[in-house]
Amino acid sequence: MKTNIPLLLRWHLAQLENQAPPPPRAARLLAQTQPWWDTWPERFQALVERLSHMDVAFGHAMTDASHVRTGFPVTTLVEHAGEETETSARVLYLSLRDRRFCFRFHLNANIQPAVESFEVTFITDGKMTPVLSASAARSVDNEYRVDLQVSEELAREWGNLKVTDRMPFRLLLRSASSISDH
Amino acid sequence: MQFVWFWTFWHWSKEGFQDGFLLRSPIQGIGGHWDEWFRHEASASDLRAIEETGRTESSQRQFIAWFFRHWARETNWRENRMVPRFVLGQLAHLPPFNRWTAFDKYREQYGARGISAVVLSAESKGEADDVRRLEALALPSDSNSSIVPEGFQADSAELEVSRQAAFSVFRGKGLLYFLALWTAGGDRPYARWLKILVGLGWATVAGLILYLLFGPDAGEHLVALSATLVSLWSALTLFAVGMICTQVIRAWQAGKLCGERLQRSEVRLRMDGGLTLKGESAGLAFSLNTLLSLYRADSQLAQRSWLWRRLFRRLCTQAGSWAATGVITADGRLKSVVLQPKLRACLQRPDIDHILTPNQRDATRKSVDLMVKAVSPIAPAPIKSSALRAGWGFAAEEPRLQSHRCRHVAQALMVFGGFHSKWQKAISALAVLVSCAMLLALPDLRSILVPPPAPVAVAPSSTSPYYLWVSLDTKAPARFQVVLESEFWSNRRVRVLPQRAANVPARAEILLHRLPTPTGREDDATIWVERRLQFLTREYAAGERVGCYSLAYLTRLGHE
Repeated sequence: MKTNIPLLLRWHLAQLENQAPPPPRAARLLAQTQPWWDTWPERFQALVERLSHMDVAFGHAMTDASHVRTGFPVTTLVEHAGEETETSARVLYLSLRDRRFCFRFHLNANIQPAVESFEVTFITDGKMTPVLSASAARSVDNEYRVDLQVSEELAREWGNLKVTDRMPFRLLLRSASSISDH
Repeated sequence: MQFVWFWTFWHWSKEGFQDGFLLRSPIQGIGGHWDEWFRHEASASDLRAIEETGRTESSQRQFIAWFFRHWARETNWRENRMVPRFVLGQLAHLPPFNRWTAFDKYREQYGARGISAVVLSAESKGEADDVRRLEALALPSDSNSSIVPEGFQADSAELEVSRQAAFSVFRGKGLLYFLALWTAGGDRPYARWLKILVGLGWATVAGLILYLLFGPDAGEHLVALSATLVSLWSALTLFAVGMICTQVIRAWQAGKLCGERLQRSEVRLRMDGGLTLKGESAGLAFSLNTLLSLYRADSQLAQRSWLWRRLFRRLCTQAGSWAATGVITADGRLKSVVLQPKLRACLQRPDIDHILTPNQRDATRKSVDLMVKAVSPIAPAPIKSSALRAGWGFAAEEPRLQSHRCRHVAQALMVFGGFHSKWQKAISALAVLVSCAMLLALPDLRSILVPPPAPVAVAPSSTSPYYLWVSLDTKAPARFQVVLESEFWSNRRVRVLPQRAANVPARAEILLHRLPTPTGREDDATIWVERRLQFLTREYAAGERVGCYSLAYLTRLGHE
């Protein structure tokens, strides 16, 4: 028997098209391009409200004049497994070259089991407005890493930051489980 | 140049730290730095070279050998032997090293086993797993000295107390207490024959003292015996004091070096299990392991001190068979803890032979022995093979555990260093007793060996006809006595006594008493000045006669 290959392929394609999920609606596609704080403004406002009232500061009661390189803790609110945890993060690495922003931090909260990735939102310290949102993947111990392109304006603003400087932002960390809850 | 990729990473890390991109120093942040560099910064050629190195186990081993031989030398970590080990231990968990078989031995441990801590897991009544292996590493620190937990969570304030206690042992009250304990009865740093010789020396001194006190009158041998006694005691004392001073000074110097190093170090305590510690009973183990970590980092620190060297060497070689529990204070004192389940846990570990505990009632040898009996012997499961017809006897060993109770971490060091010596304690006690006796007897011995100058009779003489005053110009009146010899007056021997009034010479007052049947004339009397020979409570027969006066001369003295 002679097999008609093109016909067979068309039949197979038709089969796959039938099984494929329906294409997303335009509204959903639009929603996906929006940052999460526009999608769930009430939730965002509630978290920012809480973040703005958090005050993490270290008092260095030094006993000698030796150079201490500890950096400044970054006020951080973690939303994970239906709970909000107030904590701080320690900036371990910060590099901004050609608008590429590499940011590594150590989360001081002890979350068990460890969360493999967070959606991290950078909130400006004074105005409490969101400026960036990206995924932070866990690497060693409780260290998380962010790597993304930033705007020209932000690159200029944060370009001279060093790890030992006080950071001009606070962090909002949301785990995958808390995102899916919404 | 070999392994250029590692140098590339290393310099990226150093420069990043110097330029303020990286918070932690290249050593402290080695894991995170490598992860960052390898995943995001390494060039394609670097990645190819790394892959090439990891292709075979042989090339992986070459990298490790190069790492110890060259990298460690060229990065000035020669003074800290544990740094390369720590770096390899950190890298071993990260890609691509976590797939390299040559790194297997660095993955689980740093090769710095210390004294185990007994930390009970929640609701445990004392299981073998509760005896937790501890490793401590002292790494150079760019910031303040600190203790960093690895593999567990602990309150930093509690860890800081352990560090302070370790510092106290190096440079504070803890060191003084340790040195005092060792001086009192600690093993000495000389050969066995010399220890016996020294012991015999002290026994001889004690024997001579007893002979001089209770033996027959030495007579003409008194000077020789006294000279021997003083010489022997002086030699033994000088030897003991010299040796103790030398060791104390060296221990102090080494302790100072260790203390300074501790202040410049970050001590990493590794205890696997991911525990979050509640309570402070692991403080003693943390503190002792902190001490050990400094020696492991640089054994030269204690090179000149026999005390520290011996302690650290024993800690290094025997730490695996020791466990410790006890809450420690910053000045090194130990506070009591819950002990029974911890002892039970140690008894179930055949590799643990000793446990250091606070000085509490349930840590006595009797209590531990009772518990040993309560814990069933560990025996292998019986083999149910029909082929094995012969009767098998399982020589199941009873668990053995020796508890050592301590009030202070310094006592723990005495125990650990094996400094306790019954022989030395006995010798020290004898030496103290003998030395006390010698110090009391020194004036007597001095007057025997170096007699005071012979005195001259001076005014005043007695105005009473019933008394004869023999005033002597001497600063040591107690060393002389006066003898009246006459055929008219009763013969008498009288001590010379100091006078309370100022500028009045010491004198002997002789009551003149006529004999019942005098044969001589009233003026016919001789007064001798003799030396008194004494040793503590004993008075010997009269010594040399150093002066002779007539009665007439003495009665007229000062009245002419």
